[in-house]
Amino acid sequence: MKAHEFMRKDLTSVDAETPISEVIYVMEQSGLSSLPVLDDEGTLVGVISERDIIRAALPSYFDMLHSTAILPNLNQLGRSLERISQRPASEFMARDPVVVRPSDEDLQVAQLFIRRRLKQIPVANEAGYLVGVVRRIDLLNQLSRGGILRDRR
Amino acid sequence: MIITVTLNPALDKTYWVDETHLPLSVGEEDRIMRAHRSLSEPGGKGINVSVLLARLGMESVAMGFLAGHTGQIVLRGILSEGVSANFVWIEGETRTNAALMLPERQAASLKVHEEGPTVPARAVEIFLAKYRHAVARAEYVVLGGRLPPGLPDDFYHQLALIAAQHNVKTVLHTGGFPLQEAISAGPYLVKPDIREGAVIGDEAVSTEEEIISAGHHALDRGAKMFLVSHHVTGDVLVTKDAVWELDARVTLSELRNLVGADDALVGGLLYQLKKGEDLESALKFGMAAALASSEAEEKLVRSRQAIDAEMERIEVRKRTPR
Repeated sequence: MKAHEFMRKDLTSVDAETPISEVIYVMEQSGLSSLPVLDDEGTLVGVISERDIIRAALPSYFDMLHSTAILPNLNQLGRSLERISQRPASEFMARDPVVVRPSDEDLQVAQLFIRRRLKQIPVANEAGYLVGVVRRIDLLNQLSRGGILRDRR
Repeated sequence: MIITVTLNPALDKTYWVDETHLPLSVGEEDRIMRAHRSLSEPGGKGINVSVLLARLGMESVAMGFLAGHTGQIVLRGILSEGVSANFVWIEGETRTNAALMLPERQAASLKVHEEGPTVPARAVEIFLAKYRHAVARAEYVVLGGRLPPGLPDDFYHQLALIAAQHNVKTVLHTGGFPLQEAISAGPYLVKPDIREGAVIGDEAVSTEEEIISAGHHALDRGAKMFLVSHHVTGDVLVTKDAVWELDARVTLSELRNLVGADDALVGGLLYQLKKGEDLESALKFGMAAALASSEAEEKLVRSRQAIDAEMERIEVRKRTPR
């Protein structure tokens, strides 16, 4: 199965200039934990995730989040978020993000989900325009129903 | 690419009951009607057109505003039909429009339409930025439905002007002041919504002569084509060199659900025009799509076959002016 067959044609995105406070709002409303970032021409230039925002607010603590040694003070996190709330998405997004093409195979996409530990990956066409997003849960759902296995000869 | 714009989308909820016994009798306080069937579908004129196109295998991008949990349900419905969605999220809840199908009156329904959430200024800015990007790569834009609270009456005019700057053909499918304001932006096709009264501005559009007259005024102001419902099973199209009479040979008793039939007409027409078909074939197909939709219990026809089956029941007559 190709990516375009199981991708979600939800083109929800933010612009490079969108302030962080608005990025958070769109994430919350749309239920997406990472969002494609588009430039002036509407082409995909990055991806911004919840992790990127938290890392931006607490850079020195972020690396320690994997241990239970230090839990950031939430007031401090709140203040830090306020400081970056008007900064543009372009400042904290992942440039050169992992992107899938509509013709990519499901196996390739699955490997990206696993190796890069991503929950969703934007799908862009040859011209660089966003055409959808592939979600790990959709692939998982298909597999658990035997959908993809049925396609394999 | 085709873009459809639905600024005030809805969750269309339809109920089918055995009987209504309307009106309430004297002394009766309230009544419970039990629905033996109900259906929730994404709704709004632009969305309906996108769904119809998707069912015919043609892609489009639906744009507009969505809000809250109802917005999520509408989005899910849109995506499940194979339509691409590029909406701006706002506070509140996308509206629900309820239709109670009246078993005593064929195809008629009692409707309750909510107003919809107010669109804040910042969301309008974000929408316009997305719209400008999208329109630059589009061939057709469908602007349909009521404006939500928070948007000025000339909003469709603004959108039509942006489309005109990119030589994109605009289909305008709305009513009232917003329609009047937008005609001067030179839309390709104007289909006035006259469900709340056969009047456009201060012109009546009940008889064919009135429609032709209103049509010529719209064409003078910049529109290229003007399409109006003439009666339940007929429409009239006015262009600068002809008047087209479109009729479906069907009895009213065969009709089941008139909701969305207009949008099927626009969708079917647009589908064939985009494929390069001539106007007459496209009009016939559009009417067949509207007829097939009206005969189905659901809002919109599901398959190409169902539309093709109706083609021979459509009459298209061209009259050139004297």
